[in-house]
Amino acid sequence: MSNRTVNINVHHVTRIEGHGNIVVNVTNGKIEKLQWQVPEAPRFFEAMVRGRSYEDIQTIVSRICGICSISHSLAATKAVENATGIQVSEQVDTIRLLMHYSEQLQSHVLHVGYLVAPDLFGLPSVVPLVAAAPGPVKTIIGLHRLANEWSALLAGRITHPVTLRPGGMTKIPTEKQLRELQDRLKKCLPDLKAVAEVVLSVAGNIPKFDRPTEYVALKEANSSRYAFYHGEIASTDQKDTVAINDWKTVANEYVSDQSTSKWAKWHRASYAVGALARFNINADLLSPTAKAVAQMFALKKGCCNPYFNSVAQIVEAVHVVETSIEMIDKLLTKGLKQETVAVSPKPGKASGAVEAPRGILFHEYEFDRKGNCMSADLCIPTTQNHANIQKDIEKLVPEILDEPEDKIRLKLEMLVRAYDPCVSCSTHMLDVKFVR
Amino acid sequence: MEKPVVVLGLGNPLMADEGIGVYVVERLLESAAEYPAVEFVDAGTGGLSILYQIEERRKAVMIDCAFMDEPPGTIRRFTPEEVESRKVLAHQSLHEADLMRIIAMARQLGQAPDEIVLFGIQPERVEPQLGLTQTLMGRIDEYISMILHELGT
Repeated sequence: MSNRTVNINVHHVTRIEGHGNIVVNVTNGKIEKLQWQVPEAPRFFEAMVRGRSYEDIQTIVSRICGICSISHSLAATKAVENATGIQVSEQVDTIRLLMHYSEQLQSHVLHVGYLVAPDLFGLPSVVPLVAAAPGPVKTIIGLHRLANEWSALLAGRITHPVTLRPGGMTKIPTEKQLRELQDRLKKCLPDLKAVAEVVLSVAGNIPKFDRPTEYVALKEANSSRYAFYHGEIASTDQKDTVAINDWKTVANEYVSDQSTSKWAKWHRASYAVGALARFNINADLLSPTAKAVAQMFALKKGCCNPYFNSVAQIVEAVHVVETSIEMIDKLLTKGLKQETVAVSPKPGKASGAVEAPRGILFHEYEFDRKGNCMSADLCIPTTQNHANIQKDIEKLVPEILDEPEDKIRLKLEMLVRAYDPCVSCSTHMLDVKFVR
Repeated sequence: MEKPVVVLGLGNPLMADEGIGVYVVERLLESAAEYPAVEFVDAGTGGLSILYQIEERRKAVMIDCAFMDEPPGTIRRFTPEEVESRKVLAHQSLHEADLMRIIAMARQLGQAPDEIVLFGIQPERVEPQLGLTQTLMGRIDEYISMILHELGT
C-alpha cells in the first residue's frame, strides 16, 4: 500500500431528504476512517398506523416508498391476514404475485437503465446517456411503460396500489385484459434481451471485487418457484429456513454509532439482501431465458461481487416476465371468478414478508379485538444492507488505494448505487429559485 | 388513446404539507366529469414514472410542494423555463427525484408535452404527519379555483 493521503467525503446536504454519506480518510497510507453513514430511515411511519383499522393499513404504508409501494402494501396485507387468520383464494394469490412481479420489472429496469448504465458508459447521470445512447434509453422507457401499465392494471394505479384488501382484491382484471398483457409480455422479451446485450457490451466496466458474505432471501420448501412472495427466510449460511414470524431473530437490528438508521446482522457481521441474494439462494429455479441471460454474464450461484446485483436484476427481470406469461395461461385456463370475501377482525400479532426489489421486507402488526392496530414494526431491505455496505467499503478501499482519487470515489459510489438504498424516498418536493 | 391534458398531483400525504399535490388532485377529481379531456392522476412519489405519465399529452399540469422562499401557503404558477432547481442529488438511489430534471429528460427524449405548467405550493411543515397544516388546508379552495381556471383556458 502506498503512503497516500486520500480524503473522500461524498456528503450531500439538502434541506430535507436524507442521503448516505461515504467517508474515507487515509493519511500517509494509514486508513483512519472508512464509513457508510446513513442519516435517516423511514421508521416513523410505524407510529402513523397505530390506532388505524386493519382494513386501512396497506393503503397508508403504500406511501412509504414511491418505488416499492406494491411491496409495502403486499407485506402489510400478508401480515394483516396472518394476524387476523384470513385465508385467500389461489386466484387472489396468483393475481397478487403478478402484481408483485410488475413492480420487480419496473424497479429493476429503472435501476439498471437510469442508475447503473450511466456508470458503465462512463457518464455522470442518465441525462447525458440519453444523447449518447438514445436507442437503449428508449427501450428502457418502453419497458418501464409496460411495467407501469402492468402495475396499473392489477394495482389500480401505477404507484400506491388501491386494489388490495385483507382477504382479497377490490377489483380484478378481465380475461381480455390479461390476454392483452400476456401478448405485450411476450413481445417485450426481445427488448429485455437487447438491454442485457447492451449491458454486456460494457460489463467490462463492472468493478472486479469479491467479498464473501451471508445472503438472505425468501425460499419456498418443496417448490419449483423462485421465491419473491411465498416461503420462509433462507440464508446461504444455514440449511434450515426460518418462519416469517421469527424475522427478528434474523435481522437482529442494532444501533450503530455512525447512523441514525438501525443496522442488521445474523450469522456474520453483516448480511446482504436483494437480487443477488435471491439469485444465490434460488438460481436453480429461474426460468430458461433468465438462466441463459445469467450465463451470458457468467453469473453463477455463489457470486459475491456486490456490483453484480445489477446483473442479477436483469436476470430477474427476464424471469418475472417469462414466469408471468405462464401464470396468465394458468389463470385463463381455470377462468376468472368474481369472489367475495367476508372478513371480520380478530385480535392477533403476526408478520408478513415479501421480496421487495431491493430485498426481503418485513412488516409486523398487532391488532386488538376491533381490528385496530396497536403496534407496528417494519424492517426494510436497506436497513438490512447497511452493515454489508460498510463491510464492503472496508475491504474495497485498501484494494484500490493506489488508484486515482476520482476512481476510488466512483467505485464507492457505484457500490452504493448497486444496493440502491432507500434513504430518501418519502419526500420528493421541488426546491426552486425563480430566474425569470 | 391518452387524454390530451394530464394533471399530476405529486407528493406524500404521510409527510404533512409534502402531500399537498395529492390532496389537491383528490379534490379536483370531484370535478373530473366537467373536464372530459383531462386526466387527473394521484402520482404520489412515483418519481420517474412521471416520464410515462406526461408522454403523448398536449399539456401537463403538475402540482407539488415547493420551496420557493415564499410565505407558507403561497401558490405560484410557473413554467419550467422560469425556475432553476436548487436540489442536489446524490445519484445514489432511484429513491431521489427532482421533478425539474425529469422534465428536462422528457424534453430531451422528445416525449414532453408542448405545454408544461407547474403549481408550486410553499409548505409550512414537511415532517412525518398525516394531513396538511391548517395554513395550507385553509387555502385549498383558492388552489383548486386557480388550477381549474388553468384547465378552463
